[in-house]
Amino acid sequence: MKLNKRFIILLGLMLIFSMALVACRGEEGTAPKDDTTGEAKEEAQGEAADEPQYGGDLIYGQIGNPQVLNPMYSQDAASGNIEDLIFAGLMRTNEELEMVPHLGEPVEVSEDGLEHVYRFYKGVKWHDGEEVTADDVVFTFSIPLHEDYDGPRKSYFENLESVEKIDDYTVKFILKRPDAAWPVNAGWPLLPEHILGDVSVAELGEHTFNRDPIGAGPFKFDEWVEGQYVRLVAHEDYFEGRPYLDSITVKITGDTNAQVLQLQTGDIDMGVFPSEEFATVETFDHVKISQVLRYAYNFFGFNFRNEFFQDHKVRQAFAYAIDRQAIIDVTLEGYGEVAHGPVSPLSWAWTDDLTVYEYDPGKAKTLLAEAGWEPGPDGILVKDGQKFEIEILYNEESNARRTTAVIIQDQLAEIGIKATPKSLEWGAFVDTINPPRHEFDTIILSWNLGTDPNPYHIFHSGQIDEGLNYGSYVNEELDQLMEAVNLEMDEAKRTEKLHEIFKILSEDLPYVFLNYPMENVAYPINLHGFIHHPSVPFYKADDWWLEQ
Amino acid sequence: MTSYILRRLVMTIPILIGISILSFAIMYLAPGDPASMLIDPNIKPEDLERMSERLGLNDPPHVQYMKWVGHILQGDLGTSFIQRRPVNDIIMERLPNTLVLMIASSLFAIVLAIPFGVLSATRQYSVLDYSVTTFSFIGVATPNFWLGLMLLMIFSVQLGWFPSGGIHTINVPFSIWDRIHHLILPMIVLGSYDMASLMRYTRSSMLDVIRQDYIRTARAKGFRERTVIYKHGLRNAMIPVITIFGLMLPTFIGGSVVVETLFSWPGIGQLFINSVVQRDYPVIMALTMFSAVLVVIGNLLADIFYAIVDPRIEY
Repeated sequence: MKLNKRFIILLGLMLIFSMALVACRGEEGTAPKDDTTGEAKEEAQGEAADEPQYGGDLIYGQIGNPQVLNPMYSQDAASGNIEDLIFAGLMRTNEELEMVPHLGEPVEVSEDGLEHVYRFYKGVKWHDGEEVTADDVVFTFSIPLHEDYDGPRKSYFENLESVEKIDDYTVKFILKRPDAAWPVNAGWPLLPEHILGDVSVAELGEHTFNRDPIGAGPFKFDEWVEGQYVRLVAHEDYFEGRPYLDSITVKITGDTNAQVLQLQTGDIDMGVFPSEEFATVETFDHVKISQVLRYAYNFFGFNFRNEFFQDHKVRQAFAYAIDRQAIIDVTLEGYGEVAHGPVSPLSWAWTDDLTVYEYDPGKAKTLLAEAGWEPGPDGILVKDGQKFEIEILYNEESNARRTTAVIIQDQLAEIGIKATPKSLEWGAFVDTINPPRHEFDTIILSWNLGTDPNPYHIFHSGQIDEGLNYGSYVNEELDQLMEAVNLEMDEAKRTEKLHEIFKILSEDLPYVFLNYPMENVAYPINLHGFIHHPSVPFYKADDWWLEQ
Repeated sequence: MTSYILRRLVMTIPILIGISILSFAIMYLAPGDPASMLIDPNIKPEDLERMSERLGLNDPPHVQYMKWVGHILQGDLGTSFIQRRPVNDIIMERLPNTLVLMIASSLFAIVLAIPFGVLSATRQYSVLDYSVTTFSFIGVATPNFWLGLMLLMIFSVQLGWFPSGGIHTINVPFSIWDRIHHLILPMIVLGSYDMASLMRYTRSSMLDVIRQDYIRTARAKGFRERTVIYKHGLRNAMIPVITIFGLMLPTFIGGSVVVETLFSWPGIGQLFINSVVQRDYPVIMALTMFSAVLVVIGNLLADIFYAIVDPRIEY
């Protein structure tokens, strides 16, 4: 009798639990499908009959916690995104990822390319009502040139000799060497001289301004509650007109799961989510989804310190053996494009004149045989008594990279190579692949591309001992080309050189370039004017408006 | 009693020094440092070098440690490498959030655990006892993060009864009900394990006590059953339970790391995770020492309560 009772209670509890589980699962299958994938821009144009409306508050979910809101001292994307709303600079990127004038025009570049004169608009107001003048520009660009400056941006401006005020609305930058990529730096967000001018540069990094900033951007800083959110309100006097939204609150969600959950429950209105959650987010009927290629690529990199990989045929065999489409289908749910070189299709420097290695394990085997690798008794290739056994290193925080490593492991096994995936925590991972250690056979990693398409920092032999050339790749012809590109001021010749560089890299394979991933943004169905920019989350947020 | 407490406090000093040396050493030996966490082609090795210099990372470890001790003796926990402002400020902004969560969870645990533990002991082998026992087994065996995800799925996503994260609704004026609304799910998740185990301790301790001779004596004197159980029984049964509870205090910190991440709760658990990922040494050290102090206080409080509840104990 006693036993019976206990059994019944247990059974009851189990039932309750399993019912809860069923309930969770039911929803996913039955929820209506909502076909809203596509360009957000078209959407806004399609409903152009509706006049933009003022008002409304938007809550944007972000995983990272911002560090400091001062572009001279922050170094994380979480801070950078918010800074884009608060601050404005002379230049900014457009949808084609070109630098275009924002607050002012580059009116004159001298013959030798060393002097750049910028004129900017009158009547641009800081959030406190003061006018933006040449003094602010001179002040901002003098900070990284100052010997007491201790932020992370000094090298960005190492090519800047000085900056001079010509009149209240005109400044002149004097460079040390011609630099075709200068407009990128000229667009650096401006800081207010009338507030920070008296602060010594040594104290700037720890100044309270960095948590209570004043800029000239479309949104004004309102409140920062540590670990919770940063709230920004419309800047009434923004020089391009008051933003439509009353406020944007950037809420810190902490991790992907929380981000997607809060999107589902409406605790956040908008946010980026990973492709593996696409099927889930698609079922939410209060948001639309926008997808664009991210300005980035994923790659599988070789370490040339391992002599196996010094043989071009071996690297080619890897490129033939790895089914890149399969990796996209599994890790990105199909939302990505196969990559063949270190340039993004989004870039103005894009070319399709790249060497393409299609998936072909047969060819891979032939190439390995030509390179002298013979199958051993256990099926693993052997050359000079050495087995072809390697490690694939990745950082453990990334699910996508873990899956990629396992797929590559399988595909390499088919051609007789034994690959073992190995993961490290990010800090340890960086420490292991960085100089002076370079301790890996192969890595899986991604590069976010900069506005300047020259891959100098990644593949130049000068970047091995202290730089990002982790695989110690050396190619003298390429070195010279990459050095020449940024000295070349002629746009057409520069593009030609860049194309040559990309072609060589796609042929020579210091990496097997894997894919260009898509970025997914969910945003409210009544949000208009949103343009999904591949690298600026709050692109032209002053034009966003909510249908009330 | 006072001298006992003083003695105990003095004894904690070498313990804390030991803990600080150990955590400092582990941190120093762990791969990666805040300067090298960035992979940015525009940030040159010279920049990283300058950063290391500014943060004092180029000093030998014993010098770094002594500097840290020097500051901490003056009540200065240092400056965060990442946020570039005093660690004291950062922790003080977040500590109240964690304390609210901890206090709510412990109240939740105690308020449910003790009455049900007692009831289940006094009605041993009843349906109630079996339910409580089964429930507490499940509670002890359920991992925090799983329970949290389940509650979120059911009560937040499916039923929409509770918000899925954060500490209050944004763009809405302060209201105490809103705060409580946000607190309930994380409180249950953080408190459930301790509630379940406290329930079991209360039950078994109570079972021990009610079989004692003095309970029979009390009954024989003709006291009402309620008086016997709650006045004579419970007080004695609570002695081991209090000890256990004191030892549980620090587990709230550990648990809060998981719960705060799950519920986007901006407390020190979330801060700890962020700081470890970013190798923000001053914050990591401050939080490690904070937990260590909490363990010591937890033990001390347990001992003091012990004496209050059990007059036989003398120090």
